[in-house]
Amino acid sequence: MKNKRLFLTSIIGFFLAILYLMAFSTPVMAVDVKESYLYNLSNFNGIIPYDWTRIVIDTERDEVYVLYQNLVRVFNENGMEIYSFGEDGDLGNLVDISIDKEGNILLLSYKETQPEIIRCNFRGERVGRVEIKNLPVEFSKFSPNRMAYLKGNLYLASQNYMRVIITDNDGNFKNGYDIISILGLNEKDRNDTQMDGFSLDKDGNMLFTIPVLFTACRLSPDGKILSFGKHGSLPGEFSIVSGIASDRNGNYLVADKLRCVVMVFDNNFNFIAEFGHRGSKAGNLIIPNDLALDSKDRVYVAQGQRRGVSVYKLSYN
Amino acid sequence: MKVLKLSLIVAAVAFLSYGTSYAFHSGGVAECVGCHNMHEPAGEYLLIGTDQSSTCLSCHENAADTGPSSYHISTAEASLGAGLAPKQRTPGGDFGWLKKSYTMTIRGTTSTEAGETHGHNIVAADKNYVEDATNTTAPGGSYPANKLACISCHDMHGKYRRLNGGAIATTGAPIIGSGSYATSLDPAAGEAVGVYRLLGGIGYTNSLIAAAGVSFAVNPPAAVAPSSYNRTESSTYTRVAYGKGMSRWCATCHPDMHTDSGGLKHSVDENLGSTIANNYNTYVKSGDATGSSASSYSSLVPFETNSTDYTALKAIVTSTPNAGPASSNQVMCLSCHRAHASGFMEMTRWNNEGEFMTYTSLWPGTDTTPSVPQFARGRLGAETLAAYNDIPASKFASYQRVYCNKCHVQD
Repeated sequence: MKNKRLFLTSIIGFFLAILYLMAFSTPVMAVDVKESYLYNLSNFNGIIPYDWTRIVIDTERDEVYVLYQNLVRVFNENGMEIYSFGEDGDLGNLVDISIDKEGNILLLSYKETQPEIIRCNFRGERVGRVEIKNLPVEFSKFSPNRMAYLKGNLYLASQNYMRVIITDNDGNFKNGYDIISILGLNEKDRNDTQMDGFSLDKDGNMLFTIPVLFTACRLSPDGKILSFGKHGSLPGEFSIVSGIASDRNGNYLVADKLRCVVMVFDNNFNFIAEFGHRGSKAGNLIIPNDLALDSKDRVYVAQGQRRGVSVYKLSYN
Repeated sequence: MKVLKLSLIVAAVAFLSYGTSYAFHSGGVAECVGCHNMHEPAGEYLLIGTDQSSTCLSCHENAADTGPSSYHISTAEASLGAGLAPKQRTPGGDFGWLKKSYTMTIRGTTSTEAGETHGHNIVAADKNYVEDATNTTAPGGSYPANKLACISCHDMHGKYRRLNGGAIATTGAPIIGSGSYATSLDPAAGEAVGVYRLLGGIGYTNSLIAAAGVSFAVNPPAAVAPSSYNRTESSTYTRVAYGKGMSRWCATCHPDMHTDSGGLKHSVDENLGSTIANNYNTYVKSGDATGSSASSYSSLVPFETNSTDYTALKAIVTSTPNAGPASSNQVMCLSCHRAHASGFMEMTRWNNEGEFMTYTSLWPGTDTTPSVPQFARGRLGAETLAAYNDIPASKFASYQRVYCNKCHVQD
């Protein structure tokens, strides 16, 4: 009798424990990400027909900077143009944009073959320049074409030559990375390899893709690199990858120019979802290249065929 | 930490296993899924682009380029604003010039130099390249403008190969790699290399060529390029060693342009002869004929050696890139024109729309030489410099006459 009661108590306890676990434990399952198309960046004439443009977001103010044909346009968080500058060419041949901790606009500019980092006020007026100092000899001919800024550090990347440097706010060299060496690739293949889509995650890891190797990479400031991606045409596979960015949850978004999608991977590089797909509807994408996210989970995707910059909202379950 | 180490090892192994995947064409047919998508194609033939040329430009154009970059042959529109020149400097030229139209006022008359006059107007919808609206067929031929694509000239599947012994065929031995470069391997017995630039050969056809009604009756020309062919020429010329057969190959679509068609045309496929060769070699610049054959080469006026000897062609690129022509060398279409596009009308290598190439030691521009708009033709000086692949004006006379004079010396 005693044993029977003990048995029943055990059974009841077991099921209570199951119920407790079901009710209060966190299930181990991948986060579900869904996107919804919002709009395209516009001005009072309608959608701006950008064709493969550079997008940078000031996440402090959620303002969107778009560089196209040497004209910088600034959009508010509703996707409407509110300001522009650079069209007169006085600032040189503009290549990239960043925003520093004081809200100054940093412009990576070229005059003939000489790069210059120009510091501008919020109106796009030159107020100074950032001179890169103390470059080691192996980076002496460094010609960056991508720039990013995070927590007082300026990151400069040469996509063609697969090199990255980090400087402080005043341009003093702090660290340099030769991606070819880090990956153990041959020097002779440097010119044909090339990075794409340079950006930073919230921890200062550098994110980029290498389209010809069908891979995406995360390079930490201490020089450790992790990569992911598989060549193919199925969901989550890479054809020709381009832009890459991270969201506030640590997921990675990767654009694929040929598959015409933006893929979402979790922090461990597991594929979660993809969106866009080639087509003529508003939410479709044609040859997406650059992408960026603001602080409110909106994704800005540049594309070809003069279809402009499409904006999506991500939601997480 | 163990996980991190393992990940690094996996990453390293993965990268090493990629091998030479970046050599996408490798002289022959590339990975199928590089251009075709089995499940989500964008265009006909399961292509990943809307059309053939869009597919090619998916890789051969890069919006982030700040200058000449590897295998890119087109500048993205994002970098082509007013006053901004295309960025690539390949010998064939940047297709971006097709999108550069210039407006000028000369002697009180305002006119426009349309971008479409600058080159071969490939149709690539995804990249906003459209058919030539003026020349509805190929000049000197009947190839329809709306059928012009990269694959009109380049065999998308790279079947044409140069066998050991030099014969061109579509089979007979496996292609071991590209045959376009001075660094390319020579095919051993039982091997082949790709033909120059994957160009089409005898019998080459595809849907566009078939619709155009054109037949390829000649094989691709013999030529060798340096491995760093897309580079600024600010300090040295980029020397492509052209061997034999270029003009007859161009005549596939432009038959009436070739000397063989009769009429009074500039000769091609004819020996320069001692007079023209001597002119070329002694010509330095307008008013200066003190040059020598060892250093007289100019990439603005390349020529053919009239030979299919690849050992000799490679030696030109690697050992004597500055050497001028011998009397047995020949003039060809590309002596004056670029293959893709140039910064000037009729895709010529220099501006023929005025008597001067340089003016007061400057490249003409609306900013540099505003008093002579007939030479600037709506361009900034920097754009003119780019159209000359960054060759400095100081290499030429202060009032340099057009470069027909390199061979004909009337200046």
